[in-house]
Amino acid sequence: MYACVRSARVPELAKDVAAQFSPRLQRYGAEAVVFDVSGLGRLLGPPDVVAAEIAHAARAQLPALLSEPSAFDSGGGGAGPPRFVSRYGLRVQAHPTEHGRVCSTGGALPEDVSRTLRDRELRLSSPESRAPGPGKWLPLRRAGIRVTVAPTQVCALLLSLAGEPTAVVIADEAGALAPLPLRRLQQLLAGIHGVTVLRGPRAGAAPGTGPPGWPAWPACAKAFDMLQRWGVRTLGEFAALPAAELSARMGQAGVALQLVARGRDPHPLVPDPEVPRFVERMELEWPIDGLEPLSFVLARLLDPLSGALERADRAAAAIRLELRLVDRTTHVRVLQLPAALREARVLRTLLLLDLESHPPAAAIDVVRVEADPAPGRVVQYSLLERATASVETLATLTARLGALVGEARCGTPVLLETHRPDAFELRRFDGGGRAAAVSVAGPAIVPALRRFRPPVAVRVRVDRGRPAHVAIDRRGMPGGEIVQAAGPWRTSGGWWTREQPWDRDEWDVELRDGTVCRLHREQGVWFMEGVMD
Amino acid sequence: MRAHLESLLRARKLDGTLDTAAPWRPRTGEDLAPAGLPALDEALGGGFRRGHLSEIVGPPSSGRSTVLAHTLGAAAARGELVALVDACDRFDPASAAAAGLDLSKLLWVRETGDAGRALKAAMLVLQAGGFGVVAFDLADVRPPALRAFPFTTWLRLGRAVEGRETVALLVASSHLARSAGGATLALEPPPGRPRARWAGGSDRARLLHGVVLSPRMVGGTGSEHLTCDGHAPTASRRARSYEEHDERSTGHRSPRDRHQSVRRNCNDSG
Repeated sequence: MYACVRSARVPELAKDVAAQFSPRLQRYGAEAVVFDVSGLGRLLGPPDVVAAEIAHAARAQLPALLSEPSAFDSGGGGAGPPRFVSRYGLRVQAHPTEHGRVCSTGGALPEDVSRTLRDRELRLSSPESRAPGPGKWLPLRRAGIRVTVAPTQVCALLLSLAGEPTAVVIADEAGALAPLPLRRLQQLLAGIHGVTVLRGPRAGAAPGTGPPGWPAWPACAKAFDMLQRWGVRTLGEFAALPAAELSARMGQAGVALQLVARGRDPHPLVPDPEVPRFVERMELEWPIDGLEPLSFVLARLLDPLSGALERADRAAAAIRLELRLVDRTTHVRVLQLPAALREARVLRTLLLLDLESHPPAAAIDVVRVEADPAPGRVVQYSLLERATASVETLATLTARLGALVGEARCGTPVLLETHRPDAFELRRFDGGGRAAAVSVAGPAIVPALRRFRPPVAVRVRVDRGRPAHVAIDRRGMPGGEIVQAAGPWRTSGGWWTREQPWDRDEWDVELRDGTVCRLHREQGVWFMEGVMD
Repeated sequence: MRAHLESLLRARKLDGTLDTAAPWRPRTGEDLAPAGLPALDEALGGGFRRGHLSEIVGPPSSGRSTVLAHTLGAAAARGELVALVDACDRFDPASAAAAGLDLSKLLWVRETGDAGRALKAAMLVLQAGGFGVVAFDLADVRPPALRAFPFTTWLRLGRAVEGRETVALLVASSHLARSAGGATLALEPPPGRPRARWAGGSDRARLLHGVVLSPRMVGGTGSEHLTCDGHAPTASRRARSYEEHDERSTGHRSPRDRHQSVRRNCNDSG
């Protein structure tokens, strides 16, 4: 016996519900999951009871959508009703309460969300009620979840396309499928093969070969065209056609398609491989405060986590640390690692350096660490190249420098595609790859500029259109009579976009004491941009 | 007796901390990092010495940042990682890129004048290792702030780079420190000569071709900070004064050529 959960709007929901009942599940397309419920008869009862339990679990999952918001909009500072986007992308709107109390729909809401709702006397939409508002706000009742139980996978899948929220077939799957229109079979096969457009000049081909055992899409498309020309409209009519004559006209693909129309599985259930999760959690006997004791706890969690990653030949591309505090809030830090790492010592150092800059507000009750797995790096060194710093060393160094001078104050500069002076951005330093050394001819000597950030305002005496003297009030800055000058060089830009516009005249000047500097005048004000050195 | 002991130490390459006079002798092999300027590399005997602390000193517009940019660019071109701890946030990526520096290989630490914190950052970078050149730009730090550092600060810097394949460079306005095997590159234009080279006649037809590099090499062992007996160092000096001028350049030295807007003489007198 197989069950199918189809969720058109919330694909992740189908897999979560199926995982509660059976580990043997297989995803078909983006919306449907089929799983084996053969053993649930002893536990739950007849198939209709099993279907009811699965439907109940699916409906119960809906409040969980509200309890894990991924984005919370407080409503423009209180002007509008708060809204938030749930984990599955559904948008929920809050409404005024009748009695000034907040009605929780189940599940623990984050503290800040609950506080906001209480302060503003709002409640959340319950799953059974419609959420008023603009059309873009999806009512929860119309999440589009369907549950079917049938003796075969094909029967369960086809019935889930029929539109009934719950359907149960105990026997005679061919008879149950007979009234269904032929387009349901076409829709099923298109979904399995990933075809999105079925008719018209833009009808697409299957992007891949599809799962094994199922008829190939090109043959299916031809067969459906033929059946349409013959006037076959339902699965029952198709199943009633003589197999020998069908084979003569459509070939083996037609025969295989007819078996599917009769509800026969072309292939046994192949369970999807379970995605391993790399999570370690520890509940502390007493709360800890400070990074030093937390360091020991992290060491105890990261050592087995690192071992699990190594055994699975995986590394952590990102690491998520959740600290449940004594004030019932959760302090979450997510580190995106520059490269996939799995050394426990390096991960612990990076987490502690990050927590130095973003410490938790209270003592810690529970510590949870989860690694986002990625394939391990394959690194091959060469004896002929000079050894450079490893990725782990660079990651630790940049984390330490970020904690010392600020994360935005260290990195590798990247010039922006603009003529605006001093236009660059700092990005994470990762060593610039392992490109081979390039032998370039020695460039002409290019003088370097030492920039003042921001440019320093100066007083310039102009004589016959030429700067003649520079005066500045700050100690240690160059100034004096100008003996040589070149300019003005007019430069402007940015006035056609939203970026900051500039319009300036630049001068290169040499002062009496030999200092060569660059001046610019913008909107009548003189600035010293830097010193040529 | 003393000369015999010193020769034995030199034969076993244990003469790094000798504080007696020794002529600046050029070294060959992998322990040198060329600066990317042929005449300067020739004067250095091949380049800056790895595993030692060297310095580039001079007044403003003497070419310190130019030499630094070319040194970093030459190291990056060899595939090495380079780092710059900028104590006063003076580095200009555009002119460094024009000098040939591959910015993707540069780690730039921008400090806003706190020399102490910049020093900590420099120590972190040196201790991490793996860099070909680590430069510490203190040129615009005020002298009282630099004098506040105890002299052991520079000893620790030298010790942090000792034995590594990293060139540590200090950029300052006056002599600070170098390790026993390092070099001081003093950029001092000859008196009476301009620091900049110009081309053209009138203001509106003149172009800045660059600054004049007039390096004076100070080599040998010992420095004013390391001499314990109070005597001035008697290291021999080989001074070479020269100018670098590229006759082929047609104005690419100045970052001016990055501006592709129309350059026209402005009749506005301001």
